[in-house]
Amino acid sequence: EKNITLDRATGIELSCRLDNKYSHLKSLQVTWKKGNETIRYINKTESSWSIQLRILDNSMLGSYSCTLKGKEEIGAMFHLQVPKIEGREKPIVSYEGDTAVMMCKSFGYTPIAWTWYKTNGSEQIAINDSLLADKYVINRISANVTHLKILKLTKEDDGVYWCEAAFELGKSKGKLKLKVLSLMVPLKPFLAIVAEVVILVTIVFLYEMYSKKKEKCAEDEKEFDQIEQL
Amino acid sequence: SPAMSRAPGPPDGGWGWVVVFGAFISIGFAYAFPKGIAIFFKEIQDFFGTSYSEIAWVSSIMLATTYGAGPISSILVNRYGSRPVVIFGGLLCGIGMVSAAFCTSILQLYICAGFITGFGLALNLQPSVIIIGKYFLKRRPIANGLAMAGSPVMLCTLAPLNQFLFDNFGWRGSFLILGAILLNCCVAGALFRPIGASTASVKTQVTEEGKGALKEEVTKDAVEMSSPMDVPIETKMQEEGGKDCCEKINQYLDFSLFKHRGFLIYLIGNVLMFLGFFAPIVFLAPYAKHIGIDEYSAAFLLSILAIVDMIARPTTGIIANSKWVRPRIQYFFSFSIAFNGACHLLCPLASGYMGLVIYSIFFGLAFGMVCAMLFETLMDLVGAARFTSAVGLVTIAECCTILLGPPIGGTLIDTFGDYKYMFIKCGAVMVLAGTFLFIMNYYNYRVLAKEEKERKAKEEDPKSVRTANEGRNNWNKETIQDGPELEPLREEQEGLKKEVNGT
Repeated sequence: EKNITLDRATGIELSCRLDNKYSHLKSLQVTWKKGNETIRYINKTESSWSIQLRILDNSMLGSYSCTLKGKEEIGAMFHLQVPKIEGREKPIVSYEGDTAVMMCKSFGYTPIAWTWYKTNGSEQIAINDSLLADKYVINRISANVTHLKILKLTKEDDGVYWCEAAFELGKSKGKLKLKVLSLMVPLKPFLAIVAEVVILVTIVFLYEMYSKKKEKCAEDEKEFDQIEQL
Repeated sequence: SPAMSRAPGPPDGGWGWVVVFGAFISIGFAYAFPKGIAIFFKEIQDFFGTSYSEIAWVSSIMLATTYGAGPISSILVNRYGSRPVVIFGGLLCGIGMVSAAFCTSILQLYICAGFITGFGLALNLQPSVIIIGKYFLKRRPIANGLAMAGSPVMLCTLAPLNQFLFDNFGWRGSFLILGAILLNCCVAGALFRPIGASTASVKTQVTEEGKGALKEEVTKDAVEMSSPMDVPIETKMQEEGGKDCCEKINQYLDFSLFKHRGFLIYLIGNVLMFLGFFAPIVFLAPYAKHIGIDEYSAAFLLSILAIVDMIARPTTGIIANSKWVRPRIQYFFSFSIAFNGACHLLCPLASGYMGLVIYSIFFGLAFGMVCAMLFETLMDLVGAARFTSAVGLVTIAECCTILLGPPIGGTLIDTFGDYKYMFIKCGAVMVLAGTFLFIMNYYNYRVLAKEEKERKAKEEDPKSVRTANEGRNNWNKETIQDGPELEPLREEQEGLKKEVNGT
């Protein structure tokens, strides 16, 4: 199986070559298929069969397979796809009233345009940053990178976001998750640790005072003994 | 009445081990924290929209301040003792990180997370090292080795902890919680019970800690034998005699150390060594990725390094404490530096993952050996009393080369496109430093032995100061030296000490 990434209209040649160890197989019938549809024009050479395609739009992308039927059936699969966009698996954590910056990157291929979507229930709503300019800012940092900045976060901004890159041959999406927390959330462990520190310091100082008192008692006793001896 | 007229030697145990634990925590935070927060950099970089090097400055500023504020730390410890300084340092670290959590610009981050936290860590690092010198003498190398082991342990703890905090709280929440965690340095500081076990030098420098120690609360190790009235009378007269300006400055920071031969040797050798010390660690993972190793295995190399480091430090402490090594500890130190350099020189020969694993193991071993003895050798050369000032002066000098090391290595890599020149440079610098220290210490030991012979030939003067010049035969009589006629007094006092402990 092979994955081939294409971002723009291009001509491409896919070929299946028979490995030497199978050259004993006679009477081979080779079929090239896209999905269930058979492709007619196959170029054949001594041990390889290839097809030439001109990929012009999205419908021509997909899975192409070559099957060699003889006594055994062997085949190979090609997946023609648009470039994948990477979002983030782990959620981005931010706080109410703060700003969140979400980033999407395309590797190697430059998209024509970027669009951001917010998932509201089951549908995806495009984010219009000119309409809500004091809430959303979309920046194209470089050719392959886009930023979505969300200002003045509230709990409603929590959820799943999609960044969509438009290529000549189609669109590709990346998923990002945003978590909006209130300030109370980190404050609880913070106060717990501060309390622990205060308690430990107090214990240390109390123990020190206690052991000093014990020393002093012991010393007084000793002096008393020595005075008695004198 | 059985009043004693001088403080006994360092306890070498008892509460000292608790102090070692406190120093473990304190030193661990000081060294591991700047490296640990690197996990947050990617996110902060995206948030503020800056380049990676601008964010990396936060770590550099933190490290620079931790080393650069050394003299200030020394002055404060000379004046107030270790405990208040460490507690204040812990508070400062906490305030720094908490305010960093609310920063709205990269510059504010430099100040809060970089400068303030770095300064707090400086007030943690130096006093922790200093107080070990006050509590230990015979077992000091072990104590130093154990305390310095705090650094790799904290690093191994902080790395996954920071990742966890980041996944759950984002960078702001993490900074807030890290601020609270840094407050634990105050707990470490609370454990640093003051102890009056240092020299009261009589000549020109009345070390502040000597005076301060007598005024401080008595500890449980029977130091209270010397009551304030028993301050050597010569000291009192010295104070009343008035001091000129130089002596006043020397009270706070002992600049006369620059005339001390051992100190100068140590300073030059170490400043040279630090040029090649940290760069290999910084570039180990990128080098591994460069030769085709995947990211997780590359990170694992650093874990191997940290684990070997963790074990090497206390072990080195134990070895350095043995009676064969301790009198020649400077040689052992020079050897470990040269060994470290040799590892780097051989690294380009390592091929493939197994080669790098072996390199990491030896590097971890050498790194741990050097770090364990870093402060021990300085204490050995200048003695516990002057160590306070010495450590401050040394850290500010090292500050420059520490900061220069990795960027120079980075420039070499970028210029030649090959990591081997960086390794060769680091290895060469360290072998050179090790050799220099070895030769100079050989010379120093011989001069000290000669001086010792001359001194023994003269009549013993009970008022003479002997700050620790380590001759081959003298290592066990380091700090408070009153001469042989007070020996019986010392024994009597030991006897009483045993009695008190027995009741």
